[in-house]
Amino acid sequence: MSNLQLEIKQMIIEILDLEDIEPDEIIDDEPLFVDGLGLDSIDALEIGLALQKRYGIKLKADSEDTREHFASVNALAVLIESQRTS
Amino acid sequence: MANATVVDGVSRLLRFKLQSWNAFAPGLESHHAWREWLLHPSELPLELGKTSLKQIPPMLRRRFTPLGRCAAGAALPVLSDIDAIPGVFASRHGDTPLTLSLLEGIANGESMSPTGFSLAVHNALSGLLSIARKDVSEVTAIAATENLIPNALIEAATQLQERPRVLCVIYDVPLPELYQAYSDSVDFPCAVAMILTLDEGDDFVIQRENSRNDTTHLDDFTGLLRILSGLEASASFVSDSSGWRVSRG
Repeated sequence: MSNLQLEIKQMIIEILDLEDIEPDEIIDDEPLFVDGLGLDSIDALEIGLALQKRYGIKLKADSEDTREHFASVNALAVLIESQRTS
Repeated sequence: MANATVVDGVSRLLRFKLQSWNAFAPGLESHHAWREWLLHPSELPLELGKTSLKQIPPMLRRRFTPLGRCAAGAALPVLSDIDAIPGVFASRHGDTPLTLSLLEGIANGESMSPTGFSLAVHNALSGLLSIARKDVSEVTAIAATENLIPNALIEAATQLQERPRVLCVIYDVPLPELYQAYSDSVDFPCAVAMILTLDEGDDFVIQRENSRNDTTHLDDFTGLLRILSGLEASASFVSDSSGWRVSRG
């Protein structure tokens, strides 16, 4: 688990009130929504807001790209990396 | 209306039966504990302690604020054997602590949490319980500046005209200190859940009461709980503009 992946997991746990979950219980390449971790649409909005606040990333709420970026911790890490290098 | 007495074209009595009830406040979670406390009142904590809400899946449980945990703590035990039931959810002030925290965030120029915003509406709690229980029955969320308790009971008893039983949950938490100069509120987090039915349970009557009662005015929750606990036969709920009496019938 890279530092960025760990950072993303800690962010998810903190902003979504998932106190009972440890970072290593969130699997890097497993779905965050519905199956896998089981987050819902309000959580998606909350993560979108956090990405904007912490990494300056603005996403369109309903685009197909956003679905892909939110698929897993790994996908979020790719998104954040691409923002940093661009 | 089948179960109301009509005099001069105006219904003066509304009858219902109470199948079960449960109340929740810090340290008071059983009929026995409530009865003891009503007989020997002592000061209760202002904060809700740990509440387990084991019936709610963890991913949903995180969405319950102290107000929601209080109301759910009262309601879930009376719902354990019921799959689907329409509900009346009544709170005078709603989730004012949450609303205030959102307003403070706006004042500080912060972006508003979508979760916090979604939970700040008056029917948020009934929605969470509906999702948790997978019960798509209709819900009514009401607020009342005066006489919340009789108004909630009247709404629920009226819905009995169309449904065999109705859940009625009445709940409030103390106002944040900032607001306390402007309005009164409960002294401690408190919620009462009742299952009203047409044909099963103890008889109750709601009727108009015109004059202010001479007896010491108890706060409304205590008045209701004294009837439910069998310590009084009736309680009056009188404000400047309207008065109601709730009695065992």
